[in-house]
Amino acid sequence: MAEAADTTAQDRQRQELAALSAPAVIFTVAMIAFPLVYTVWLSFQSFSATGRESVVGFANYARLISDNEFWHGLWVTLVLYVSSLVLQLVFGVWLALVLFHSRRLSGVVRSLFISPFMMPPVVAGLMWLVILDPSLGAANYILTSLGLPPSDWLASPTFVIPTVALIDTWQWTPYVALIVLGGLQSLPPSVYEAAQIDGASGFKTFRRITLPLLLPTIVTATILRSVDLLRFFDIIYITTQGGPGDASNTLNIYGFRVGFEFFNIGYASALMLTLTAIVLGAVLAFNRLRGAVVW
Amino acid sequence: MRARTFAAQFMLSVIAVGLAGSARAADFDWKKFQGKTVDFLANSNPISQALLTHKADFEKLTGITLKVDTYQEQQMRQRLVTVMNAHSDEVDVFMTLPSREGEQFAAAGWYADLTPMTKNEVAPDYDYAGLSPALLKAATYNGKLTSMPMNIEGPVIYYRTDIFKKCGVDQPKTIADVEAAAKKVKACDPSITPFVSRGLKPALPYTFSNFLHNMGGSYMVGGKSALCSPKDKAALDTYSRLLRDYGPPGVVNYSFPQISALYRAGRAAMDFEASNELRTVMEGGARLKDTAIIPLPAGDGGQVPTTIGWGITVSAYSKQPDAAWYFVQWATSPAVQKLMAVQGIAPPRSSVANDPTYRKWIDEQPVRKEWQAALDVLAAKGTSEVGYPIVANPESREFIGQAVQNLILKQKTVDQACAEADKGIDALISQK
Repeated sequence: MAEAADTTAQDRQRQELAALSAPAVIFTVAMIAFPLVYTVWLSFQSFSATGRESVVGFANYARLISDNEFWHGLWVTLVLYVSSLVLQLVFGVWLALVLFHSRRLSGVVRSLFISPFMMPPVVAGLMWLVILDPSLGAANYILTSLGLPPSDWLASPTFVIPTVALIDTWQWTPYVALIVLGGLQSLPPSVYEAAQIDGASGFKTFRRITLPLLLPTIVTATILRSVDLLRFFDIIYITTQGGPGDASNTLNIYGFRVGFEFFNIGYASALMLTLTAIVLGAVLAFNRLRGAVVW
Repeated sequence: MRARTFAAQFMLSVIAVGLAGSARAADFDWKKFQGKTVDFLANSNPISQALLTHKADFEKLTGITLKVDTYQEQQMRQRLVTVMNAHSDEVDVFMTLPSREGEQFAAAGWYADLTPMTKNEVAPDYDYAGLSPALLKAATYNGKLTSMPMNIEGPVIYYRTDIFKKCGVDQPKTIADVEAAAKKVKACDPSITPFVSRGLKPALPYTFSNFLHNMGGSYMVGGKSALCSPKDKAALDTYSRLLRDYGPPGVVNYSFPQISALYRAGRAAMDFEASNELRTVMEGGARLKDTAIIPLPAGDGGQVPTTIGWGITVSAYSKQPDAAWYFVQWATSPAVQKLMAVQGIAPPRSSVANDPTYRKWIDEQPVRKEWQAALDVLAAKGTSEVGYPIVANPESREFIGQAVQNLILKQKTVDQACAEADKGIDALISQK
């Protein structure tokens, strides 16, 4: 009898909680679901430069398959994604180790190390656009002062992708470092004490203990950066607008231009939904990996 | 007797119309929409910056509150596209570039028809007839006037007289002379960039179009893209060669901010850029005494400069078009355009161009006289064709830009570049 009364009280409490949180849940679902559903609807329409024309079914998606610019954009997106991610993970882990072990580093120095990622991407893009200007920028001035040949940087079809990857790495490595630092601080000290007793070297300790234990944290950082890197936009839009030619034309830049400059909202919606599916696929894949490496 | 009666009746009707007109003018009240708020979507360029320095004057004159949303050009268009596709009334007035999007926006029905407003609700001193007929015509689609011109502009060559003197170069009289001058400057002083203009893909059609027309070329012939015609190929070759061989490193990313910065810093001998970059180029005063300005010299096709103007218009979805029109007519009135003129915004009215205050400002510096002389050529001979004269003009500029960049970067030959562009643009034309 007492148990039945308890169950009834718990059910009532659950219902009350559900009723209280319902407005927030409904609002959040609407804010996410409505734009998504509307974009799907748009992707089945055709738009011309003067507005909406007709329902065309899957024609926009069929166009994707035969569109060379789509495949090129996908290739650029993937190259940029892999190169930036690898650099950010390697340098992020290194920076986290520096911050973890150098407890004597002052707060000012620590803040300087992590400040780039607090800068708005537009500001970072404009700053690097000026620094990397082949004629007036500081980068070439430094190179020529050291007797090295200047570079076209963002204006070179060959170097634009590595340059953009480096700019993004400069900005977001501290973010990865902070995530990894959190992971480092949560590692059990007992395994390190045992390793010390066994006479393990610093490198062996890192390779056999720190890195495996950090894997879940690194995968978390990978997931978070993947979502941003696959949607690469800000830096490229500010610095090159997809150029020179289409050398840095990622899928997101391409979709943006198709939608907002050529007013083909239907095809742009199809492009963006395809990109969304790619991002979602990457997140799901890394989530499974995270599950496999958790300790 | 009958003739006398007719004449009297005719005179009476003329007097009646005149009285009605002056009654309308006399009825005009700037305070008619006092208390209203007008939302203005502006492009952050020298024109809006000059206009908005007098925002308080408008609000004081009319009692209307002006809410301004300012963006860089591309972001402004993106915001506009979003608002207009939603048929929203959150923008009452916006800036527009008829040469780029006029046909497209007119076909989409985004502009209010300003024709009746210019007749029925206009201040007595507005002087509609004094506005540039060419710019008014360029803003008229299917008999509807879609925007009022704010300025007149086009690309001009700013060049360093001191460098030319040092290198023994005369003022170019033909396009071939421009290239010869660049070659001489390069040999004379390798530290100076001989020639700089737009190489950024979406931006370069503005400057390339002047080369095309001066060299006798034309974007379309017989309803098809003509970039592979001999004269068009020559224009592609010349423009890309000037930038590739005599332009700064990284010119493929250059638009007006980088170009003006390079010239202002004294690192370029010739700068082919918009006339309303005058203020930016002269900032700091370093280039005030050593710069001359000319329109692009003639080629085989004569001198056919690119002449465009930003317009200001009322949104078709505004819930208060009449109040919005009050702002538009104030912004394009002789008085305000006179104030903007002395800030380097060339007026689209001959009355302002000949105004004593403006002429005094022009006469203060020789470079301003040359700037005005170049603008007079643009006004007299110009064409507003930048990119293809089709509804999808913005998309057509991508193909032009890609063709030029392929040549600057030596990724394709002229024949390959023009063929690829023609193919893409013909597909665009046939979609319509």
